[in-house]
Amino acid sequence: MEKIIEIVLSGLSMGSIYSLLALGFVLIFKSTGVLNFAQGEFAMVGAFICYTFASLMKLPYLVAFPIAIVLGAVLGVVIYALFLRRMIGESIFSTIMLTVGLASILTSTAGLIWGHDVYLLASPFTNKVVSIRGIILSQGALYTILVSLILFIVFLRFFNHSLLGISMKGTAEDTDTAGLMGINVRMIHMIAWAIGGIVAALAGMFLAEQSFVRLEMSHVGIKAMAAAILGGMDSIAGAVLGGVIVGIVESFASSYLSGLEFANFHTGDIKEVAAFAVMILVLMIRPQGIFGKEKVERV
Amino acid sequence: MLTVTNLEITYNDIILALKGISLRVPKGRIVALLGANGAGKSTTIRTISGIRKTLDLKIEDGQVEFDGQVINDLEPHEIVAIGLMQVPEGRRIFAELTVEENLIIGSYSLSDRRKFVQNLERAFTYFPILKARRDQMAGYLSGGEQQMLAIARALMADPKLVMLDEPSLGLAPLVVQEIFEIISRINQDEGVGILLVEQNATAALSIAHHGYIIETGRIMLEGTSEALKENRDIREFYLGLTEVGAKKSFRDVKHYKRRKRWLS
Ligand SMILES: Nc1ncnc2c1ncn2[C@@H]1O[C@H](COP(=O)(O)OP(=O)(O)OP(=O)(O)O)[C@@H](O)[C@H]1O
Ligand SMILES: [Mg+2]
Repeated sequence: MEKIIEIVLSGLSMGSIYSLLALGFVLIFKSTGVLNFAQGEFAMVGAFICYTFASLMKLPYLVAFPIAIVLGAVLGVVIYALFLRRMIGESIFSTIMLTVGLASILTSTAGLIWGHDVYLLASPFTNKVVSIRGIILSQGALYTILVSLILFIVFLRFFNHSLLGISMKGTAEDTDTAGLMGINVRMIHMIAWAIGGIVAALAGMFLAEQSFVRLEMSHVGIKAMAAAILGGMDSIAGAVLGGVIVGIVESFASSYLSGLEFANFHTGDIKEVAAFAVMILVLMIRPQGIFGKEKVERV
Repeated sequence: MLTVTNLEITYNDIILALKGISLRVPKGRIVALLGANGAGKSTTIRTISGIRKTLDLKIEDGQVEFDGQVINDLEPHEIVAIGLMQVPEGRRIFAELTVEENLIIGSYSLSDRRKFVQNLERAFTYFPILKARRDQMAGYLSGGEQQMLAIARALMADPKLVMLDEPSLGLAPLVVQEIFEIISRINQDEGVGILLVEQNATAALSIAHHGYIIETGRIMLEGTSEALKENRDIREFYLGLTEVGAKKSFRDVKHYKRRKRWLS
């Protein structure tokens, strides 16, 4: 029993990271119609920024953390203003190619600045565990789950109860009409990219708690994308749920299926494909994703 | 007051949709803009609303002026901010949001947020059905209710002037009558000016003070509602009240009766 709970909790902590990234992914897509393939790279840059301030400049983690969040937002806004503002309304393929290009530029720039090694983020939770009734969990994982949970509640309230959040949903549904309601559509797009940058920076810093800071962190982006598609690419709740499912499935797969040998067949690191296997399975049953709505027809 | 002078509009730099239109909506009045399909009615109010980029619409000549300010180059949200609201063709409510969320978005430009509750109550007084449907997804409303929501949403911003693009579109005559009566009441009670774009001339002239007839991008005729209702051409083309027409429909009725008798 303890083992199961440990697996679920560790799945939840990875799942929170996927959820955060998936949330940014869905938000940007719904608001601006851009599939941001650089979401994982945003996370990697966020982790490196935190590492720079916390580990290299030896600032307290509590200072480095908000700096990384703010710079994450700035990164999102700058990328939007420089490259994607003009692309609104263009074909989805050209915007995909643009973000794929940006992703590789971000990776090589980060490589130039920080190098290709593996670094440790100095945080108050490094190498510490909590143990409750025989269940052992790293403090970093617990911290990830708790902070993410608070964030998701804040986001849900923002999108369902605040004027700006509701207006963002409206803009996502019908940009022209949003303009006719007095909404500055370009500002809404910018805010969506800022939030996308913030959640990515958070995901990057949380991921650094689980392992190290390095360029390859950005690979988390593609799994978050699978999570977003699994959740339906439509709602915050869907993205969060998709992320949690991917995290937990991965966690079980790595505990029970990794490294097994059947006859001469070695399952290897099955964890890496679990996310996609689940995504494909779900899409075969529900092509619009778990939470994806079929469009409401206009009367 | 809204003043449009000599407006010339192209789409995609080639299609000349408006060929020099002039019209005026005095403060607190209802002005009807009547015309057939493709006459340029929607183009006129899209231009006034500042929707240019997404439609590739360009002002080649002329001027749009509101309360003494030339608004040719303003963005849609800036035009809303000075008190001009549009209820677009086909209603364009936010189908995936609730009725209340639609109204909240309508209030986006209200700078004094304390007025929100007051305006929401006012919207519910004019359209009680929306209060009952408040938490429902707007996409599931009937066509008439969606039109009511679109009008209520525009009202949330405390506009000085509302432009309605074919509010009667696709609605049953009784619903049209109900909605037009409410539009007239809003105009009288709130002093909101109305530019009413319509194909349904009968309904529009029943509440408008003044009217313009637009045909292929030009204003052909203008006058008070009374004058327009008496005008021979209008009676013939827009109100369907010609002698020939009357006779024809009379014959149709007789024919129908005969057939029915034969069948029974
Ligand atoms: N987005 C567009 N791109 C190109 N041409 C357009 C566009 N919208 C309208 N037009 C053209 O401009 C002219 C006027 O159209 P408009 O939509 O203003 O007519 P309307 O009077 O509103 O007609 P309806 O009653 O059918 O709504 C038409 O010839 C139409 O083909
Ligand atoms: Mg039209």
